Amino acid sequence: MLIVENLSKEFNSGAGPVQAVDSISFEVPEGKFAAIIGKSGSGKSTLLALLGALDKPTSGAIKVGDQDITKLGDQDLIKYRRNRIGFVFQGYNLVPNLTALENVMLPMEFAGVRGAERKARAASLLDQVGITVEEQSRKPSRLSGGQQQRVAIARALANRPQLILADEPTGNLDSTTGKLIVDLLRHLARTEKTTILAVTHDLEIARQTDLTFRLADGKLVGEERHARAQRPAVAA
Amino acid sequence: MSTIVRGVRNAFRNTIRTGGVTVILALSIGLALVMLLSLKTVQARIQTVKQSIGNTISVSPAGARGFDGGGEPLTQTDLDAVKSLPHVSGVVASLNDRLTPITDTSLASAIDPGTLGNRFRSRGGDAAPAPAGNSSGGATRTFTIPIMVSGVGQVTAAAVNATSLKFTSGSAVDASGKANVADIGTELATKNNLKVGSTFTYGTTTVTVSGIFDAGNKFANAGVIMPIATVQTLSAQPGQISTATITADDITNVPAAVTAIKAKLGTKADVVSQQDTATNAIAPLENIKTVSLYSLIGALTAGAVITFLTMLMIVRERRREIGVLKAIGASNVKIVVQFVAEAVTLTSMGAVVGVIGGLLLSNPVLKLLVTTSTSTSTTGAGPGGGGRGFARIIGGFGGQSLQNLQAVIGYDILLYGLLAALIIAVVGSALPAWLIAKVRPAEVMRGE
Repeated sequence: MLIVENLSKEFNSGAGPVQAVDSISFEVPEGKFAAIIGKSGSGKSTLLALLGALDKPTSGAIKVGDQDITKLGDQDLIKYRRNRIGFVFQGYNLVPNLTALENVMLPMEFAGVRGAERKARAASLLDQVGITVEEQSRKPSRLSGGQQQRVAIARALANRPQLILADEPTGNLDSTTGKLIVDLLRHLARTEKTTILAVTHDLEIARQTDLTFRLADGKLVGEERHARAQRPAVAA
Repeated sequence: MSTIVRGVRNAFRNTIRTGGVTVILALSIGLALVMLLSLKTVQARIQTVKQSIGNTISVSPAGARGFDGGGEPLTQTDLDAVKSLPHVSGVVASLNDRLTPITDTSLASAIDPGTLGNRFRSRGGDAAPAPAGNSSGGATRTFTIPIMVSGVGQVTAAAVNATSLKFTSGSAVDASGKANVADIGTELATKNNLKVGSTFTYGTTTVTVSGIFDAGNKFANAGVIMPIATVQTLSAQPGQISTATITADDITNVPAAVTAIKAKLGTKADVVSQQDTATNAIAPLENIKTVSLYSLIGALTAGAVITFLTMLMIVRERRREIGVLKAIGASNVKIVVQFVAEAVTLTSMGAVVGVIGGLLLSNPVLKLLVTTSTSTSTTGAGPGGGGRGFARIIGGFGGQSLQNLQAVIGYDILLYGLLAALIIAVVGSALPAWLIAKVRPAEVMRGE
């Protein structure tokens, strides 16, 4: 369960203070796939950075499970990011000189998982997202955009997080591949009991999620709930 | 894969940059190594030259050397004042006398005058007149060489101008006493058929032989050693000394001790230290040492700056990657260790190439430094520069030492090379590491 209460983030710019996120409150139940939509500059990415403990809010609370992460110190925030959050970025952000398998093993190394165990889990996760054994030993530059995003999703799942935050996960992909990635995320939300929150400006993708939150000028201006049959994931 | 292995692998991400940085660091580390080798070699040689000269200072009455020259004698009071000076650790005084056989002593000289003695005599030297009826006059006449008596405060080889002194029978006299006793050289003992316990006369006083010594050369073995107080009494020179050997507490303090002694005794004494002239001799070595030291510091600094700039560039280039690592749970320490491992890998490669190059180039560079330094000092000396005699000898020794300088390469040098690489890597990574710690995890969202 993700609960956001009166969350605000104010930046100081040359022109004066900017309210990037303004008193936002919402909830996403466990195992649901939610989307945040809005125009460029509406505060979507800032909200995602706050939820992922990449940045600190000016005020408000973010509860993941039973923990308010806004009250955590720096070391606890590192542990939070390591163990309870998984990130999927628009640009994939894989480490270029590591293989797909090594990229997925990385968060587990930081979490102190033993070598053999993390290799086995990484291989299993990559298999789950449709990356073949041969592709697992390739470096990101030798994988397609869709394959890189699948590796990024596997990496996000590495430490069995409660919450996966995806920033424009299909932004760099063609529509077919993007759709497959969304199917995969939705499938994972169901099978792994992981809450997924994706930022997107693609309304078609938003319609495939369980919940949609609409942002404008840093404020939550709308919330939609969708009820539909779950579809299985398809390899890209 | 561990953090360190990842750091090592990162060093090879950009092969062109890695190659370039390796070459530049190799030049820096190689130069540092060459300079370190030169520095160590020159320091060792300077130490050898200084040790060969010793830390003793000779004090004589102004204008007098042994039985040559003139002027006024020094006194025990003068030496007592010197004892309390800084860096003076020991003072050994001596008073020499010459005994003319038959007239001054019952001893017969153990040295025949020969050609040299006669020549010295004809030029107003120190030979004694021949016994009556045995003189033929001029350069060809024969006479007797006087017997040298060394009144000493301590029985040492230096007391008879020798480098070794061992007793073949008996023992050394108590040099601090006033007894009428003496140690005599083996040549003098044989000539006069003397044994331990035998006696001879010094003026009208009977002196007992305490020991017979072998100093390793004929001149010294023809002499007599007695307590200084006894010689002062028997030669009617109460409280006087003819020379004093002063020991400095450390070889490096000899110049300071000389200055203090000169200031204390003023114009009464000639104060001579071999180190004075040795300083001139080792001046070229000091030049090389200075050049080596500054070049070493410069090379190490350059290496650290190169590493710093390289790592700064890498950190700036990988800000987003650092943000990703932080976003997926890496701590600052892990990321810093990864980057330091990368820096250590780069500098280690530079060190390996640099050490090989340094070892190959150490002797040619040292020779170049020697050539430059020698030509500079030769030019600086000029026609009127430098001393004569001993100075020339020492100067020659120094010059010869310069020509024979060879860099000594040991395992310690290899360790120094690797240590230099490590220091360069750590120092060069320090600021970039701080920058890594400052990168916000939110950096990863930039441009998303």
